[in-house]
Order: sequence, then C-alpha cells, then structure tokens
Amino acid sequence: MGRSSSTSKDALALFRSLGSAYSATPTTLKIIDLYVVYAVFTALIQVVHVAVVGSFPFNSFLSGVLSSIGTAVLAVCLRIQVNKENKEFKDLPSERAFADFVLCNLVLHLVIMNFLG
Amino acid sequence: MRSICTFITVLTVLPLLCHSFSNENPTDRRLLVLLDDFSIKSSHSIFFLSLQSRGFHLDFKLSDDPKLTLQRYGQYLYDGLILFSPISDSFGGSLNLGAVLDFVDSGGDLILAADASASDLVRNIATELGVDFDEDPSAMIIDHTSYAVSETEGDHSLIASDDFIQSDVILGKTKIEAPVLFKGIAHSLNPANSLVVKVLSASPSAYSFNPNSKLSQPPSLTGSAVSLVSVVQARNNARILISGSIDMFSNRFFTSAVQKAGSTNKYKKSGNQQFVTELSKWVFHERGHLRAVNVRHHKIGENDEPAIYRIKDDLVFSVEIYEWSGKSWEPYMANDVQVEFYMMSPYVLKTLATDQKGLYYTSFKVPDVYGVFQFKVDYHRLGYTSLSLSKQIPVRPFRHNEYERFITTAFPYYGASFTTMAGFFIFSFIFLYNK
Repeated sequence: MGRSSSTSKDALALFRSLGSAYSATPTTLKIIDLYVVYAVFTALIQVVHVAVVGSFPFNSFLSGVLSSIGTAVLAVCLRIQVNKENKEFKDLPSERAFADFVLCNLVLHLVIMNFLG
Repeated sequence: MRSICTFITVLTVLPLLCHSFSNENPTDRRLLVLLDDFSIKSSHSIFFLSLQSRGFHLDFKLSDDPKLTLQRYGQYLYDGLILFSPISDSFGGSLNLGAVLDFVDSGGDLILAADASASDLVRNIATELGVDFDEDPSAMIIDHTSYAVSETEGDHSLIASDDFIQSDVILGKTKIEAPVLFKGIAHSLNPANSLVVKVLSASPSAYSFNPNSKLSQPPSLTGSAVSLVSVVQARNNARILISGSIDMFSNRFFTSAVQKAGSTNKYKKSGNQQFVTELSKWVFHERGHLRAVNVRHHKIGENDEPAIYRIKDDLVFSVEIYEWSGKSWEPYMANDVQVEFYMMSPYVLKTLATDQKGLYYTSFKVPDVYGVFQFKVDYHRLGYTSLSLSKQIPVRPFRHNEYERFITTAFPYYGASFTTMAGFFIFSFIFLYNK
C-alpha cells in the first residue's frame, strides 16, 4: 500500500520535474517542438485513414505521410542545430541552420507535389 | 408502235410472275400435292378448297407421274409439298427420298400423311425428319376407352382424341371443342430431338397393334408417349407436319359427328376441320413467322452507332421484331425477348422492353472488362421461327486522361500535404520574427 502510493507519488514528482525543466527551455525551441508535434499528428491521422479505408491510391498515401514525417524530421534537425546547449553545433550560425531547413523543405515539398498524383 | 405495246405489257406482267416465297412475303404460294390416285382429290376436297381459298396455288399430280420435278435450273418450283400418297413405294420423275429432304433443307414446308398400309418410302421420309412410325406394317392405333362411338361395333381403331398441344401459335386462339377423329398409325418421337413436337397425342390407353390378330406380347408403342400428329420446325425454319392418318384430312371426317366413348358430349361436327385448317396455317407460315430487323445500338444521347465503346459507357440497344399475319407484318408482342452482351460468357443479360409497335429496346452500362463483345439475341419459342442475331463490337479500356482526376479516398493526403506546406510557411515566419 505504501509502496504503490510512493511509486505513484514518485511518478507524479517525475512528471512535475519534467514539466518544470521543460518550461525552462527557450521559446524558440518550444515553437519548433510544437511544429514537430503538429506534423506527427498529421501523419497519424493519415495512417488511421489508411487503416480504415485501405491503401488504394498508395502513391498519394506515401506522399502525404512522407511530407508530414519529412518535415518533422527536418524540424528536429533544425532544433538540434539551433539549441545552444549542443556542443557540436556551437559554431554554426542559427541563420545557416534555418536556411538549410528551408531549402530541404522546398525540395521535400517539390517531391511531394510530384508524387501526390 | 406494236413493239412498244408488247414491251409495256411484258413489263407489267413480269412483276406478277414473282408471287413466291420471299423474305418480304413469307407465306408459301405454290404447293405440289402428290396423290396415289385422283379419288383422294375429291374425297379431301374441303381441305384443298380451303387452301385454295386462302390464296395457295395447288398442283395435283400422281405420285408416279414421270414428269415430277421439284426444281428446274436450280430454282425450286414450289414452296410447299403435300404428300398424300401413303402407299406409293417410289415417286416418279426426279423425286425420291433425297430430293424431298433437300427440298426441306432449303426451306420448303411439308405435310406428310401416312396410313395403315404406309410404304417404306413414307416411313423413311418420316424417320429422316425425326419421327418413327411403328415398324409393324399391319399395325394401327387402337384405343378401347377413347374410340369414337359409331353405330357399328368396330375394332376401336377409329379414335377420338382431344389431347392437343397448348400453343396458340400452332393451333390458333380459338379452342377446339370437339375431339379430332383419327384412324391410322401412330408414331413415337425421339426424346433427344428438340425440334419435333407432339401436336395431337393419344390417350394413355392407346396402343399400336394389328387389329385382326390377338395380342400375344405387349405392344411397343403405347399410351401418351405415342403421337398421332407431330410437327417439326427445322433450324432453317422449314415447317413439317406428320400425321399418321390421311383420313383425318378427308371430307368424311370433317363433316361427321363425333362422340367420345365414355363421355356424353355429342358434337355435331368433329374438330378435324378446325384442327387441320389451323395447323396448315402454321405450317405454311401464315402464323408464327417472325422477322427481326434494324439491330441498332448507340451511346445514350447520341444517334449514330460508334465503332468502339469504352468500359463503363451507357448504351442503348434496340431491335424491331415483326410477325407475319398472313397478309402483312404486324408488330410482335412479347415480354421475354432478351439480349446478351457476350464475350465467352454473357456479362450482361437484359430483358427487352417494348413500345408495342415492334420496337424492343433496353439500356445498360458496359461492364468493366475490355475485349471484343457481341450483342446476342437468341429467341427460340415453341411454334415461332427462331431468331439468332449477333452484332460484334469492341470495348476499350480508359485512355490515360480519362481516369478521374482527383480520387475521393485520397483527399486526406492532399489535405495533409497542403496543410503541412502551409504549416511550414507559418512556422518559418514565427521562427524568424520571434523576439
């Protein structure tokens, strides 16, 4: 009895500490995180749709899912490169990282539009 | 002047010489009647007069006439043949079993009457046409419960039968009230033969045997399997009537009163005349002769026939069917004519609707299969000429630009990619200008 209450108390404490640590991150990174969550959410909706209706225009499905996941991945890369706490990218200007992000997204969406049918 | 006159008269006479069986006028016109002797001409005069009054031209000849011929220079001189010569062993002139069968094979109609002493020639003709007479040459059909009551105690070989086939086309719309008098031989039909049909059957108690000798073993032909009068409609639509009794056509049977044994109904006139007249109308194509013209098909909304259809097209198919009424082509009324859209097996089978004026039409969607199809109308009904029409038409698949542009089940994917692009655009603004 005591043990479970202590473990549940521990879990709650863990979540709270995670939340407070997260609120300490810079706003920029929080914006990127929100964008990643939005992109993954879009991908999940499409996967549920395929499970229900079937994969008839498979190329359209792949193109839609790839666009969501691809842009999520690119946003994660942007977050890694922009985060000041990462030692490896200390010397990389964040404008350069953003320009890479924009160019890659352009190529990604060009490919998506072609493959969408 | 005189040459012009003769020329004009010859021109006007020539069309009158063309009164014969043609596709526009299918009723037979010229009949050859073969008789054993000319007494049959007078003893069966009511039958022959009724034929002549309907417009037929009858040629009476003896069966051993040496100048007998059915065709000259490759053209048939007659449209129909009446064989009232049951005891002739051979025909004169150029007529024989093969000539009679060739005549039927080229579309000529035939009435064949046999009798108790029918010759082998007549029996062989009947066998070739699908009907087997009793092999015993002295046998007659006898019926002890269904005979015609008469003053003298006979051997019950004169039977009164009212077991007719149920067909308005063959026997006419008016029901034949009085039974038909019959005295002659019976025949059986091969059950595998689908073209021959019993018109007048014997009662279940009839049997075929020599009336003058004692029954020592069961007779081979008994009961309702025995047919007294049968008709055959060949695949080329030639019609043949085979009767085991030539007396059925005689004046004596036409005019005599009849009473069936076991029933109290006395009829002043037997049903023979009505039966024989209606049957002869059917045999000589005055009734039940169909013609199908104008097989047309086109896409709904257009008028001309395309050379090729695409899958999932909507099309309309129509055909006009007329029935010869003896004098003119009348619209045929039926509700069971069907059309098939056929390629190795029918993909579409539809019953045609009619507009009561002879036009049969239906519309359907071309199936989702491409290939070379046929519109097939196969119409076979008892007593009517068979219709077998087919028209070939290819069907192609979609061209690459005929598919639907946007697929409805893919809308979430279209939406997702565009919203992702919009999201990326908005995000980049926020990221750049976030203070």
